[in-house]
Amino acid sequence: MSSPVPWEEIERLYHDALDLPPSDREALLAGVDAALRAEVESLLEADSQTGLLPAPPTHIAADLLDSQPGALEAGQRVADYEVESLISIGGMGEVYLARDNEGKPVALKILRRHLIVNAQAADRFETEARAASALCHPNIITVYESGKSPAGLFIAMEWLDGSTFRAIMDAGKTEVAQAIDWGGQAARALSAAHSAGILHRDMKPENIMLRKDGVVKILDFGLARHGGAMGPEPSAMGASGTISGTLSGTLLYMSPEILQGEAATSASDVFSLGAVLYELTAGKHPFAGETPLDVFEAIECRPVSPIHAARSGVPQEVSRVILRMLDRHPDSRPSASEVCDVLGGHRR
Amino acid sequence: MLLAAWSKGDQGALDKMMPLVYHELHRIARRAWSEQPYGNTLQPTALIHEAYLKLAKSENATYQDRCHFFAVACKAMRQILVNHAKSRLSEKRGGGVAKVSIDDVQPAVHQEASEIVALHEALEALQAVDPRKSAVVEMRYFGGLSVEETAEAMGVSIATVNRDWRLARSWLIREMNRESS
Repeated sequence: MSSPVPWEEIERLYHDALDLPPSDREALLAGVDAALRAEVESLLEADSQTGLLPAPPTHIAADLLDSQPGALEAGQRVADYEVESLISIGGMGEVYLARDNEGKPVALKILRRHLIVNAQAADRFETEARAASALCHPNIITVYESGKSPAGLFIAMEWLDGSTFRAIMDAGKTEVAQAIDWGGQAARALSAAHSAGILHRDMKPENIMLRKDGVVKILDFGLARHGGAMGPEPSAMGASGTISGTLSGTLLYMSPEILQGEAATSASDVFSLGAVLYELTAGKHPFAGETPLDVFEAIECRPVSPIHAARSGVPQEVSRVILRMLDRHPDSRPSASEVCDVLGGHRR
Repeated sequence: MLLAAWSKGDQGALDKMMPLVYHELHRIARRAWSEQPYGNTLQPTALIHEAYLKLAKSENATYQDRCHFFAVACKAMRQILVNHAKSRLSEKRGGGVAKVSIDDVQPAVHQEASEIVALHEALEALQAVDPRKSAVVEMRYFGGLSVEETAEAMGVSIATVNRDWRLARSWLIREMNRESS
């Protein structure tokens, strides 16, 4: 298969030959090197065959849809939980509202068995369970248990009644004092994770939830990892786990160093949270752009316009700390706990 | 640099896309079946296609990156179909519980299952030689995209897709003939 003949030459000659009526191909191929000729002739021979390629895999697709159920149904049991309804389909699987044995609501996240293509996918799922359960903080979602069930891997988590920051921001402007309070809570969660040596690595509005009683919770530690020694990331997933995460959606909250393929540090989390807080207070995203490339360039080199240009009434200290969170140099960013102090000082 | 980062992250993107593609496929299939309970007109590739459009549309508002989305969604679809084909084949070998189905459908399913697995493996070999051509096949064959959509998703001309497709097809047929002989 690894032919000594350059692929480009095979390609060129193959197409040249196809452009000719079959009777003239002989003349075209007569003068060329024997190995190249053999390659091209065998391809032309294959071209004339009616193979399986034109037919789309309809039977398998139909069989798949027929034999494997979609979402779990109400009443179905997963470990000690009874599924009530499907809440969302996300990158890391499906999330259901379920009940435990006492009828208490839980959020059940399930990664279905047949969707686990490789060990990494399963690993990441387990990482989330481990990272979040290692953290006990009022602003971080509580994990009750995780394990395997016939339906797939599952994580049972605290049921949160509320909305994500994404939904809140999509719904309209947030009052400044409110934004500062919520931002402070998110920063406290991040600070707690960092002092436990855990990076979140996927901070974005979709992963921050506001409970109806006003408590902010950080979710989705699916990409989290222990900080520890922060050398270049060895795994293929590396920092790009975040990049690929939800395509360029996450791009908006990605730090310049991550875009450069460097290792994530706690400062990268701070940057991402900074982008969220900027959006929450200013009412617009600091790196908005038409295309992913625009966003990319904005993160890399566009100056961030001061918050007061977009929104009045944001205390100067607050807007200053948010801009510092968005500093291109990781070392110049404040720590999450510094951010807590500043935002905390402005709580009502 | 950005593209490099993305391609590096493809496995993660793929893992994340699988549940979305799979679920969307089911949702559309359920709807199509309920609307047309006796119809033979249900074309799985049309479903796949509709799933993409629907997902692309909903993701588009936020993510803006249609091309990359399509590439990953087609990869996810390939993986889902190949996984299923493999499990069907191992069931047959292992003598698992046979699915009750219309007699003449089963042989077609098994035949196609082995073809899909063979194609999948040949496509991996093609990817090593010419990644773009293997992507074209992935999108057209597994993703059910048209020539025009494939061209748009890959950012190349329609003529290029047609040429790539033709050569890739010849190459794959040759490869699979070699394997089976």
